[in-house]
Amino acid sequence: MIRIRRPDTTSDPRIEPAERWFASRGWEPFAFQREVWSAYLDGESGLIHAATGTGKTYAAWMGAVLESLAEGSATGAKAPPLRILWITPLRALAADTEAALRAPLADLELSWTLESRTGDTSAAVRSRQRTRLPTALVTTPESLALLLSRDEARALFSDLRAVIVDEWHELMGSKRGVQAELALARLRGWRPEMRTWGLSATIGNLEDAKDALLGVRAESTPGRIVRGLVPKDIVVDSLIPPTIERFPWAGHLGTQMLPQVVEAVEEGETAIVFTNTRSQTEIWYQALLDARPDWAGQIALHHGSLDRARRDWVEDGLRTGKLRCVVATSSLDLGVDFSPVDRVLQIGSPKGVARLLQRAGRSGHRPGAVSRVTCVPTNTLELIEVAAARDGVRAVSVESRHPVERPLDLLAQHVVTVALGGGFRADELKEEVRTTRSYAGLMDDEWQWVLDFVTRGGDALSAYPEFQRVVVRDDGTYVVEDRGVARRHRMSIGTIVSDASITVKYVAGARLGSVEESFIARLNPGDRFVFAGKPLEFVRVRDMTAWVRRTKSTKGLIPRWMGARMPLSTELAASLRARLEEASRGVFRDPEMEAIRPILEVQARWSRIPRADELLIERVKTREGHHLFLFPFDGRLVHEGLAALFAYRISRLVPISFTMSMNDYGVELLSPEPAPLDEALAAGLLSPQGLVDDVPASLNAAEMARRQFREIARVAGLVFQGFPYAGKSARQLQASSGLFFDVFTRYDPGNLLVSQAHREVMERQLESSRLGQTLERLSAGRVVITEPKRTPPLAFPLLVDRTRNSVTSESVGDRVQRMKVALEKAADTGR
Amino acid sequence: MKDLEIELCGERLVLLPERAAYRPSNRTLLVADPHFGKAAAFRAHGLAVPGGTTAETLARLTAALERTAAEHLVYLGDFFHARASRAAATLDTLARWRDAHPHLRITLVRGNHDRHAGDPPGELGIECVDGPLPDAPFAYAHHPEPAPACYILAGHIHPSVTLRGIGRQRQRLPCFHFGPRVGILPAFGEFTGTADVPVSEGDRLYVVADAQVLEIG
Repeated sequence: MIRIRRPDTTSDPRIEPAERWFASRGWEPFAFQREVWSAYLDGESGLIHAATGTGKTYAAWMGAVLESLAEGSATGAKAPPLRILWITPLRALAADTEAALRAPLADLELSWTLESRTGDTSAAVRSRQRTRLPTALVTTPESLALLLSRDEARALFSDLRAVIVDEWHELMGSKRGVQAELALARLRGWRPEMRTWGLSATIGNLEDAKDALLGVRAESTPGRIVRGLVPKDIVVDSLIPPTIERFPWAGHLGTQMLPQVVEAVEEGETAIVFTNTRSQTEIWYQALLDARPDWAGQIALHHGSLDRARRDWVEDGLRTGKLRCVVATSSLDLGVDFSPVDRVLQIGSPKGVARLLQRAGRSGHRPGAVSRVTCVPTNTLELIEVAAARDGVRAVSVESRHPVERPLDLLAQHVVTVALGGGFRADELKEEVRTTRSYAGLMDDEWQWVLDFVTRGGDALSAYPEFQRVVVRDDGTYVVEDRGVARRHRMSIGTIVSDASITVKYVAGARLGSVEESFIARLNPGDRFVFAGKPLEFVRVRDMTAWVRRTKSTKGLIPRWMGARMPLSTELAASLRARLEEASRGVFRDPEMEAIRPILEVQARWSRIPRADELLIERVKTREGHHLFLFPFDGRLVHEGLAALFAYRISRLVPISFTMSMNDYGVELLSPEPAPLDEALAAGLLSPQGLVDDVPASLNAAEMARRQFREIARVAGLVFQGFPYAGKSARQLQASSGLFFDVFTRYDPGNLLVSQAHREVMERQLESSRLGQTLERLSAGRVVITEPKRTPPLAFPLLVDRTRNSVTSESVGDRVQRMKVALEKAADTGR
Repeated sequence: MKDLEIELCGERLVLLPERAAYRPSNRTLLVADPHFGKAAAFRAHGLAVPGGTTAETLARLTAALERTAAEHLVYLGDFFHARASRAAATLDTLARWRDAHPHLRITLVRGNHDRHAGDPPGELGIECVDGPLPDAPFAYAHHPEPAPACYILAGHIHPSVTLRGIGRQRQRLPCFHFGPRVGILPAFGEFTGTADVPVSEGDRLYVVADAQVLEIG
């Protein structure tokens, strides 16, 4: 890598040892690295932002190393107690990070110990860490929360100097980021002089990112934002299907493009093929192997469900250039540099500009190289998304990450954690929690509710003498006394990330990795699926393990994991509308738009290509019923809200039941009878007025909040899975989150966790503010209604690739009566 | 409330939307899986479930008894949810309910939860037996396992069915499920979940939809 010499910035004598160490490796520090080192030594905190693989790690790390050198902790001396916490979002990154951090320690003869502590850490290391933590610890937010729940938590951190949070942009938009904020506030309360440094990709709202990281205490220093290296030139191109007419209008596999992908992989030395879901990874890995059996051993797959050892092997192969190609999900978006990679392919739309930049940045680390990413469309319409994403890259309109505002489920979890970790006094903890960005606006009554929730089992009005979780001692300290409560709480910390996972193992014994329980639950013995690139036959589930054996047949059921479908970002959605506007005027810029021209012309012939100020509505009748397709082009999240809202507003006019589906382009409302569209439009279907009432009303019907409650119930410790030592009595404590939701809704309407479920749906799923903006835009524009005879290309994916909800204004009895009729009809026709 | 009367083994059986079944010929009301005190058991382990579910379950039971004028109440197992369900407040609520129904004969056919939780206290005046309890042509049990020379009425499963309509609509509802030799009642308790049951050719299925019982397919 080329380092540009900037001699004028070397003026701080304190950073000399780092300069020398860099020189010994043949490197020259960047100006931003020097800036951070000096700032660190001055006691400052801050946020460093730049693309992955540009030296952020050493910018943050060498400050801590320099400080220790200056104090003269030398070889031979006993390793100092815990000084530095390094927080990483993915435990997959811990090993790489540890290796990178270790390099200067040995060369500079520092007597530090450095270890990781994550879900992957071995029992032996954990046991050693129980008595003594290393000088520097690499860990995840969940494992940090677990450390905070120890009796002697405060003593553990009594020498802590700094916390460095890696990939902060990845954490900050999630509850795990809030978990980190709370932990940081706790640590800062104990160690006020502690420094906090964050490493982040460049995002649209760096100030928010900094506030979330450093907290919002009035007396604290402002903290600095340091900009790392300016991005390299980035080329975005795509593989164009040879015969667009035969290319599918919907779907997301895209294996029709296999020959071109094989060709592209051959062109480079080492390629990464990024996909958007883990199941796509499995499919593409198989497909590439089938196409080129001679690549066996030179091609690998990488995703978050794979066993650590397998991922390590793959990452090592990438670093050393031994592998020709790795098929990966976002599990390879983050982390260390894989210099040999010179070709990056993206299967399907990247769905966001930031993600595309991040993935492009994986290539071109050799001198003089540019970063290039080649998109592989999986259906025709994705070609437009690629063209739009390129516009976004050119205009540098990078997405923001929105921090989560005061989730009470997580606060309840944290309060129990702190009660376990030595206890707390209510007012002190309230003030500490309010120093985080997330809970800065925490109301007194919200705080009191959470306190009541964990001490009384409900609000102050209800008294349940049998309730046992957190107890208040006579001196006003809140602690956990019940050992069962303590054990269950520790087991449930860290279940934020995903669905319950189940280990996949061969009957013969070898471990393959883990998959979501919800997937395994759908399998019957004898079913086949592909996992870790191997066709497997499902044998049985026992002891939280799915036992499998190898099968010869490659015609298997492919795992379909939850939660991997990314919505189109606002920025990309706007670029997409602009591209369609051009197409509607007959302008087809760039190879992608030229390629898709015939399909868009079909759209124009059968219906219309909507202009940027138009809302296209298509009415189509099929055997399924009457479809309304509406195309706001604003991303799936917004469409999910719009679908519920539209269905609700129409169902207020006449008794009608809708089934809704949505994708990034639009919304489908399907009903057994035609919907009164004209009447609904006249009655303000698209109006932003009344949104405050209509959205929650439509939500109730759509049961979205009930689904959202799954995560909340888990985080707040109502539902938990997998207690290895819990025994029979635990089974009597299992209830589904849906049942909790129903009982809370009915018997405890003031329950703030239920309100949170509604709020999360509003803000995070529906992005209600974005919803309002979309309605403003739609109601200011024109509505164009067409009645195509067949389903046109834009609507086609909605018809075949659905995620569904329903809304009804009929009574349950009426619906059941009609369903019954439908069942009988189906029976008559012999289906 | 809209009941549905069916004929089963030559006997009249009334399916109530309260999620209970009534046998008019001997004035017997059948109730499966009340799981009293489930919420209290959760609370005792630090899980915050609101109160009121036991009272609501009992209110529904009262309604069913008053509407049918039943003289004999048979619980088809799982009276208490767990040992920790025997909380003072729950026992008190149950005792007060019993005081308001002094002449009702009550029988509990023990279920799997009763084994761990123990029989109801004596002052509730509940006769406890191991199933199946014969009452020709039926026999009452907790586990839905066929037995010779009788038709088993049981609980344990908490049956539900997911209905699908045109326009890909879905609705999950608790149900009564009658197979060739075993019939299963929906769970009566307010704080109980459900599980979809497999339906075979010739099975009779009745769903509880709000205030009515409807026959399905």
